[in-house]
Amino acid sequence: MRRIKMPQMIVEIASAVFKKPFTFQYPFTKPKVPEGLRGRQIFHPERCISCGLCARDCPAEAIEMVEVSGKKMPLIHLDSCIFCYICVENCPRNALTESTFYELASTNKESLALRPEKPESEGEATEGE
Amino acid sequence: MNPNIFFRILVFPGFLFLFVLILFCDWFERKIMARMQNRMGPSYTGPFGILQPLADYIKLLTKEDIIPHHARQFLFSLTPIISFSIFMLSIFCFPLDGINVFSNYGFEGDLLFVLALVTFAHFFLFLSGWSSSNPYSGIGAVRILMQFIGYDIPLIISAIGPAFLAGSLSLAKIASMQTIPFALLTPWTFILFLVALQAELEEDPFDVPHAETEIVAGYGTEFSGRKLAFIRLAKDTQIVFGAVLTATLFLGGPYGPVFSAPPSLWFTIYFVLKVLFVIALLEFVEAICARLRIDHVVRGNWRMITPAALLSVILTVLSAPYIRLFMGAPI
Amino acid sequence: MKEIAIEEEIIGTLEGMLGESVLGSKSPRPRRVYIHVKPAAHKRAISALLQAFPSTIISTITGIDLGETIEINYHFWCGKAEVTIRTNLSKSKPEIETITDIVPGASLYEREVHDLLGVKFANHPNLTRLLLPESWPENSYPLRKDWNPKQTGEIHDSSEKTLTIGETRTESNGGSLVNVIVGPQHPALHEPERFLFKLDGEVVVDVEPRLGYAHRGIEKAAEHLMFFQDVHLVERVCGICNVAHTTCFCQAVEALGEIEIPSRAKYLRTIVHEFNRIHSHLLLLGIAGLEIGFESLFQYLWRDRETVLDLTEKLTGNRVMAEYSTIGGVRRDLTPILGDEIKKKLQKIRDRLSFYKEVFQSDPTIELRTKGIGVLSEEKALKLCVVGPVARGSGVKSDVRKHDPYAAYEDAPFKEILYKDGDSWSRFMVRLEEVGESIEIITWAVDNIPSGPYRIRVPRRMPRGESLSRVEAPRGELIHYVKGNGTAYPERVKIRSPTLANIISFREMIRGCYVADIPAVLASLDPCFSCTDRMVFVDEKNGRRWIWSMNDLKARRRDS
Repeated sequence: MRRIKMPQMIVEIASAVFKKPFTFQYPFTKPKVPEGLRGRQIFHPERCISCGLCARDCPAEAIEMVEVSGKKMPLIHLDSCIFCYICVENCPRNALTESTFYELASTNKESLALRPEKPESEGEATEGE
Repeated sequence: MNPNIFFRILVFPGFLFLFVLILFCDWFERKIMARMQNRMGPSYTGPFGILQPLADYIKLLTKEDIIPHHARQFLFSLTPIISFSIFMLSIFCFPLDGINVFSNYGFEGDLLFVLALVTFAHFFLFLSGWSSSNPYSGIGAVRILMQFIGYDIPLIISAIGPAFLAGSLSLAKIASMQTIPFALLTPWTFILFLVALQAELEEDPFDVPHAETEIVAGYGTEFSGRKLAFIRLAKDTQIVFGAVLTATLFLGGPYGPVFSAPPSLWFTIYFVLKVLFVIALLEFVEAICARLRIDHVVRGNWRMITPAALLSVILTVLSAPYIRLFMGAPI
Repeated sequence: MKEIAIEEEIIGTLEGMLGESVLGSKSPRPRRVYIHVKPAAHKRAISALLQAFPSTIISTITGIDLGETIEINYHFWCGKAEVTIRTNLSKSKPEIETITDIVPGASLYEREVHDLLGVKFANHPNLTRLLLPESWPENSYPLRKDWNPKQTGEIHDSSEKTLTIGETRTESNGGSLVNVIVGPQHPALHEPERFLFKLDGEVVVDVEPRLGYAHRGIEKAAEHLMFFQDVHLVERVCGICNVAHTTCFCQAVEALGEIEIPSRAKYLRTIVHEFNRIHSHLLLLGIAGLEIGFESLFQYLWRDRETVLDLTEKLTGNRVMAEYSTIGGVRRDLTPILGDEIKKKLQKIRDRLSFYKEVFQSDPTIELRTKGIGVLSEEKALKLCVVGPVARGSGVKSDVRKHDPYAAYEDAPFKEILYKDGDSWSRFMVRLEEVGESIEIITWAVDNIPSGPYRIRVPRRMPRGESLSRVEAPRGELIHYVKGNGTAYPERVKIRSPTLANIISFREMIRGCYVADIPAVLASLDPCFSCTDRMVFVDEKNGRRWIWSMNDLKARRRDS
């Protein structure tokens, strides 16, 4: 037909059979995650001054101020959150900080919220783990 | 009537053995293709993912089976099963563990019988697409027919090469004559046979009948649930049939050196290994090519492949005496 | 000094040709000219512009509801500056003469303004709906300020007046053509769109694209969010070219507020912009491989794309949606360690590029499927005003980074890639070589980045005014037009993404090709339909139309 000259592709494909595959099995092997990854926020209730700036500035309207023992605190709806971290940047007292926790999938909508009542411990798992 | 024959048809080397072999070949195909593309392939269900094809079929059996309103219901329901059965029947005629499923060495001319059976099976695949009354299925069905009818000719012509060398049209005789495999003695015929086979099996570069990005799924578009399971099974059986045919004609079938009794065990092992080797070759060709357009496929056939097949047969006939001398075998 | 002369030269030329029809003109920034003409004189003004600068292409047409009047802005790129010719129409009777006879590329833009604002363009060859569904009620124009979703009422999704699949229709010339509909759901398309192909056997005779299936209402929604929140909204116009959208929007708002960002921020924006371009081009080349049936090429290209995504994640925190630019600069800094890692990994991609070039140039099956297919000649490309790699594959010089530089591109060393043939293969090769150029730009930027702050704080309110910003998205020229009214909320945000400009050329390319070529040609066009339809929000379910306000949506989400 034409000059069957594609040696590079043939060599490449034939040698790929003997190399280690590029993909890995996710739940059993976790990927290495860089430290700047945008994960779920961490809330420090002792620093919050109830100014409501996070709720006003959220582009996705995902933060709702709820009453917790007399003070108004933010409740973040993680199913609407776009993890843009405007709330983290704009909080005047750094009551919201970043983390790299990203395994947020859940079968229950109730658990997809960052509630101000529970004291947040690092790496707390959501339901279903 | 040999009472053993039911065992041979249903269990080994008949239906059950072939069913397991087909599933295994499906897994092997997917794993080899994945490794060539530098990814993992099935690896979760069962050790190394070996139960993945079985899981796929079980899943399909549990899905809803929808018959479209305008489809011809009788043909629609029946054609997948018929094509699967015909492919299976044609594999029964091969000497799988030394002798074929019916406990004899076949008859003179069963090579042509098998090829004719396969034509019927393809025709039923075409009918399954045609009876779906969906334009995508219709286009896919017509493409199958065009491609299959076109490439059947060079396939049969190339198949005559080994038949001529072995001096008979019986599959068992052709297989047993090969002290040295015909693939090494007449490589030109082998390569052309592989090309024509690739077109028959509708694999890349001749993937036109089910080019997903153009016509959804070709003839299989409207099938779902159990019928889809049969269509896929028919497709997988077709690939195994092609590999079995190649192994018998060109690689010496199941015959090879026997180290300990019983010989049928060794024959089965050689047979399975040769089938896997052919499948690996076909997958390799699939991985390195893009898909050709329908007019390239048709034009390429009539302008190049068929004349080349004729030339290769002529070459085989001319060099037959020397080859026979080399093999040291009488006629 | 030379630049200011260009703008004044343009103003002088047009005022000379039009005399009294010009009501006002200004040039607030380099390479931006705004001319206000009387209502009936717009066509004469445009002809005058075309006469003075023959290589003018139309960028887009913006309609703004100003209360009593509707203002129509025609944006043109005349090769040296972006010229906007505007005129006002009364809201009670908004009618204006079409310009499609002198500028054929304007047909889709006029349909858009007609669809969403209700302006009638007299003598337009095909003034039908572009983005809203056919069953949308007649007098409901979403982009007008007085539009209320609740007043629009119910829509019954009765059958659209289209043909069904496979229906034959005998044309007047005696032959018979089969209509085949591709879409909205089809494996060849990555986003929903409907194409109606007219076939003669296996040869395509004509095609009608129907857009609007991914229409989300971003332009209208942008008027209800503050400027810095709009950055995140605009980013979601398109996932693949999101950095281009944020960069363009931030530049527009910064020009509006007359904010000068630090030069470190400019270099960082350039780096992320080029990462986005590499990732988008590799994605498209993989999809091209998939469309022509070459699955192995697809897997290899996407494997190499993973490297770029990992680097983006290290720099910005996300693999795809960078969320990196903001008004006043960028949000994170580049450390020297990361800079070295970027250079090392990009070197590996550069070595892989030579392998891919060899494959594209010498593989016979790729050649058969893409060479000579889907040809767009240079003069047609100019007439239809296409942009991006589609234009550069046909030999038209159209790269915003070279001709209208922004961010750090004025000093960056790179070449504009041009191929003459205009077929699918040229378009793929343009993109492949542009990946190489992007790697050069990133390496240069990492080496030469100036020190200093990477972000400055800006006020929330932006002054009255307007600005227009153009960037080179991976698919072509992207334009954002922003109008401020003194509050923290924009008055109007207009986005014109490159695929809208290129979709008209699909018709020219596909005529005479086989059905089997459709996916390959469509892939070479690189359509990104999410970018194309992003106007008012329509949601249809079960034949009834639901419109939820933001409160309804929140309430519904919380109790399910």
